[in-house]
Amino acid sequence: MTTTPLAGPDRLTARGLVKRFGPTTALAGVDVTLRPGESLSVMGPSGSGKSTLLHCLAGILQPDAGSVVLQPASGAPLDLGSLGERRRSLVRRQHFGFVFQFGQLLSELTALENVALPSMLLGATRADAELTASGWLSRLGLDGMGDRRPGELSGGQAQRVAVARALVTRPAVVFADEPTGALDQATGYDVMRLLTETTRAAGASLVVVTHDADVAAWCERRITVRDGLVVDEARRAGGAATVPAGAGTSVHGSADPR
Amino acid sequence: MRTVRALSPLLRRAGGRDARITTALACTAFAVVTALALSVAGGLLAFQARAAEPVPSGGHVFGYLYVSLAWTALALLVVPLITLGGAAARLGVSRRDARLSALRLIGVTPREVVGLTLVETAWQGLVGAVAGCVLYVLLIPFWTLFVFQDRPFTFGELWVGPLVLAGALVVIPLLAAGSGAVSLRQVVVSPLGVSRRVRAPGLRAVRVLVAGVLMIGFIVVSIAMRSFGAVAIGVLLGSFGAAFLALNAIGPWVLRQFGGRRLRAARTPEQLLAARRLLDDPKAAWRVVGGLGLAGFVAGALAVVPVLAAAQAERDATSEIIGHDLTTGGLLTLSLTFVVAAVSAGITQAASVLDRRREYALQHLAGLPSDLLDRVRRREVLGPLVLVSVGSAALALVMLSPLFGLLALRSMTGPLLLVGCLALGCVLVLAATEASRPLLRSVLADTVVRAD
Repeated sequence: MTTTPLAGPDRLTARGLVKRFGPTTALAGVDVTLRPGESLSVMGPSGSGKSTLLHCLAGILQPDAGSVVLQPASGAPLDLGSLGERRRSLVRRQHFGFVFQFGQLLSELTALENVALPSMLLGATRADAELTASGWLSRLGLDGMGDRRPGELSGGQAQRVAVARALVTRPAVVFADEPTGALDQATGYDVMRLLTETTRAAGASLVVVTHDADVAAWCERRITVRDGLVVDEARRAGGAATVPAGAGTSVHGSADPR
Repeated sequence: MRTVRALSPLLRRAGGRDARITTALACTAFAVVTALALSVAGGLLAFQARAAEPVPSGGHVFGYLYVSLAWTALALLVVPLITLGGAAARLGVSRRDARLSALRLIGVTPREVVGLTLVETAWQGLVGAVAGCVLYVLLIPFWTLFVFQDRPFTFGELWVGPLVLAGALVVIPLLAAGSGAVSLRQVVVSPLGVSRRVRAPGLRAVRVLVAGVLMIGFIVVSIAMRSFGAVAIGVLLGSFGAAFLALNAIGPWVLRQFGGRRLRAARTPEQLLAARRLLDDPKAAWRVVGGLGLAGFVAGALAVVPVLAAAQAERDATSEIIGHDLTTGGLLTLSLTFVVAAVSAGITQAASVLDRRREYALQHLAGLPSDLLDRVRRREVLGPLVLVSVGSAALALVMLSPLFGLLALRSMTGPLLLVGCLALGCVLVLAATEASRPLLRSVLADTVVRAD
């Protein structure tokens, strides 16, 4: 597998993010930068503001103060804070991919159609979109699963389809919100391995929000959020390795990746 | 039972904005069902009373013909009304999955969970039935505007009496609970609340065979009947019933074929999604538009009435009155069917938005444009709507041609009336489905789709 060098300007730069919900301050001035191809985990207990941070970075929520600037692989930088909802929705379609805990696949579409949909939304023909989608499904070990509906897939298979869906448009950044939260440990390990490896191979940056240290260990850099502030930042020893330090070499054999 | 008694008042008050919206929608639907059912029953009782009167003048001679026609109208409306009640009950059940599976986790038994749901649905049915009784009383002055047998109805004729009202207050909640029980069986509430969607079982082509036999049977019977004259009106009505059965058998199958064809031809995301949603559950799609299919069939049959009436009117005044009344009654039945189908479609769309709320919200977070879902909804409703209403009207013209020949095409009044009614009905149904738009917006605005 080729690794993308961490070079060039920052892919995503957030400065002084503040977000309040009524009397509650979810983010109290957060700075985050993300390099091209870098993987970052955001840790923190429930209610710490980590999901709000992900939503602000991804242009889902507008921060009350501060800025989020995306530098796409080509073209001028985009200041997400200055864009309206419609434009931000377009930015999310074009430049970002998303993997949620569960239930993001449309239940009436097949796995193949679910993966083809983002490309079709960006104007690809159905035939082209399905051809590309089929390639992603086989890269994620889902050959022969294309005709299945989400209800006919296991939790791990559905998450792999979600990873394919997130990467099919070749996004600049993939945002994953508790991507293994609904999976058992061995399946979660499998999904994290595929998520980090394929994201990296596609040259995309990755932001993983989690409260699980084992999941966070897959990322090169980790920040910890508490009470709306970044309280800790750490870089994993060994740099850009794709398997967390101490993890077993067998994907299926080890129940505990640590 | 004690758990059910203890928890049901709490559950009734619990739940957020969604629960309030669904409760309001379900109660509205039950109210519409009650009010219309009582109105039609009132009409039936009025015709029965008129038929029982001594005969002072010409218009009353055909009293019993009117009673059988009123029964026909009632029969026509029963299916859509039950469909609407079922849709409302399903809506009531849909948002309770999560809460009910939480109850399972804390040790409430499956039987008690079912009990709780049924109590809740029956309660909604009761609230709706009470509102429906009030609505029925408010509607009576409107119905008295209609002239039948050369005189308008009076309030007293259309008043069903306290016994029937009390009956409605018992029957509607029971029907609601019954439909709720059926839908609960489909949504298996496991402790972890995993209600999985799988491919709907295929619809077999044997439906087409059954439908074909029934339709040919109808045509043969009606050709044979011409030699026996009007005495065999019962047989004719029976054949009408057979034709409806045929429509019901063939409807979901036709929609499935239609959906399959559209899936293969789909190029854009909205075409793909609309076709998949139709294929996902053609029976459910038929439940929404099926009422219109039956109404379209009646409308097709009625297209010949103005011609018949004009032909008869040259002979005597009684025929003129009957012709007028047939047209009025037919149009009234058709309009009611459209109203019921429109409310059904609105309720079904609301339930479908709520059922898919998580996937919709997450797709929206991932950049799915919200107006795409609006376009999908319109496409999903309009395709089957036009197919079914036009198709069944055409079917009626074909099936009734042995009876009336090409009379329908001799005058333009009937066909114009038919096209006008169908177009208006389609607009009404589309407008009703747009009512789910605010609900969709509120679902999409929800960024906290995760528990913590």
